[in-house]
Amino acid sequence: MRDKYAIAGTATSDLGRTGMDSLALLEQAMRRAIDDAGLKVSDIDGIVCRGPDDVYTHHQRMGARLGIDVRFSTSLDNGGASQILAVAIACMAIEAGLCTTVITGYGRNSWTRTHANEGKRVKMELTPDDQLPKEFAPEYGYFGAPATHALGARRHMYEYGTTREQFGAVAIAFREHALRNPSAVMKKPLTMEDYLSARYIAEPYGLYDCSLVSDGAGATIVTTLERAKSLRQPAVIIKGFGTFNNTRGWIYDDHMIRTAAEGSAKQAFAMSGISPKDVDTAQIYDCFTGMVVAQLEDYGFCKKGEGGPFVASGALRLDGALPTNTSGGQLSEAHVEGMLQVVEGVRQLRHTYPVERQVKDAEVALVSGHGGNTVCHSTLILARAA
Amino acid sequence: MMTAVELPLPTPSIETEPFWAAVQERKLMMPTCNRCRKVTFPPTVACPACSNDAFTWTQMSGRGKVFSFVVYHRVYHPAFKDKVPYVVAVVELEEGPRIISNVVGMPVEDVQCDMPVTVVYEEVRDGYLIPKFTQR
Repeated sequence: MRDKYAIAGTATSDLGRTGMDSLALLEQAMRRAIDDAGLKVSDIDGIVCRGPDDVYTHHQRMGARLGIDVRFSTSLDNGGASQILAVAIACMAIEAGLCTTVITGYGRNSWTRTHANEGKRVKMELTPDDQLPKEFAPEYGYFGAPATHALGARRHMYEYGTTREQFGAVAIAFREHALRNPSAVMKKPLTMEDYLSARYIAEPYGLYDCSLVSDGAGATIVTTLERAKSLRQPAVIIKGFGTFNNTRGWIYDDHMIRTAAEGSAKQAFAMSGISPKDVDTAQIYDCFTGMVVAQLEDYGFCKKGEGGPFVASGALRLDGALPTNTSGGQLSEAHVEGMLQVVEGVRQLRHTYPVERQVKDAEVALVSGHGGNTVCHSTLILARAA
Repeated sequence: MMTAVELPLPTPSIETEPFWAAVQERKLMMPTCNRCRKVTFPPTVACPACSNDAFTWTQMSGRGKVFSFVVYHRVYHPAFKDKVPYVVAVVELEEGPRIISNVVGMPVEDVQCDMPVTVVYEEVRDGYLIPKFTQR
């Protein structure tokens, strides 16, 4: 399916502390993406999206809000890997002749659902109560995503000598990007001293290793490359995609330090004919700093175990070897489970950013999505149309 | 007036109930495949290694090592307010399975990956025991 399909439109909702419902956020992003492409709502004949986990047949709710009946419609459940998988499923559905123009997206009001007002957090977990583990977790005080991921960071530090300063380089690089993005939630510079002196959450992770609790949504319009070229925006070609799932679980084998990105990368590079050295910008699922380090290794941007020195070299900065998460990522822009990474990958390839935000001469972007109990992964490789 | 929040107890499933019942007798019991002898935990209908569906609950040595661990500083549940900092670890048992537990009986800063540990049984409340691990 290389070079047959494209992303013709993309947008985000309002980000941060919106007070909005999850479905409303996604509707806002979807309507903006349709406008961005220069399409009408009635041009959409497919919906592929992931809802908040507690919404049944989420895609149908979105069709109802948009006011359309469609040919192909489904929700998917692959955690933070869903957002890229939705684009892949959209391509497959078009390829199968089931539809022509698919809207994908994800939205969640993570801040609004956990806070009663500006200052008061009323709920710790984003996961609905009935989906939380009932044993082998609460009795040990094992709660929250930071600890799960920190287990992997600890093992990575133990095996490869990775340091907290190296994780800090990830947080600081993404904060620098966020300061150039007016929509980003985080507005203040972050120094290494700030990073190291921040309180621990689940050690080795401190506050700035953890992604934001923020509201937000993003959406894309997937159609044929031929059609995309006739629309308003510069078409962004879907070169290829991949997916892999370490379904046996995070704590099995070496899954914590050698992630499902490895298998997903292999597929995506093969489909696209792209190799790591061809990638001009990466948009990596950054739920936590250490996950960025592990994925960069798994994608082959550096050798396994050398992710720490790689990020510490300044590689992720806008003028670095691999400008990464150039809108600030989930650590500093907003955490929308990988959806904003897709949006940013597309935007960088349009070359419509002001020069201070633009990755110079960006022709190829790699986007990663990760989740589903930390073991599901998907990859999207995009390129600027000639 | 403040009401004390009770520490959470595990809620056994139909499949894990024999495990928790054995823990109350201070035994670590897990299903072992009658064909390939692989120990599987948590339990499944058939062996994930060989698909055989006949298991025998067998007693584990209680020895293992810390595969990885974190130190909680943030209080996620009010009952753990006085417990921080505490260690949550993935413990790899000698027989193979990896389980979530706590490492206890030592300063949190001395816990290490690959450190050898052995099981201890600690009361959560009301006489209910859960397995934890200590350095050996």
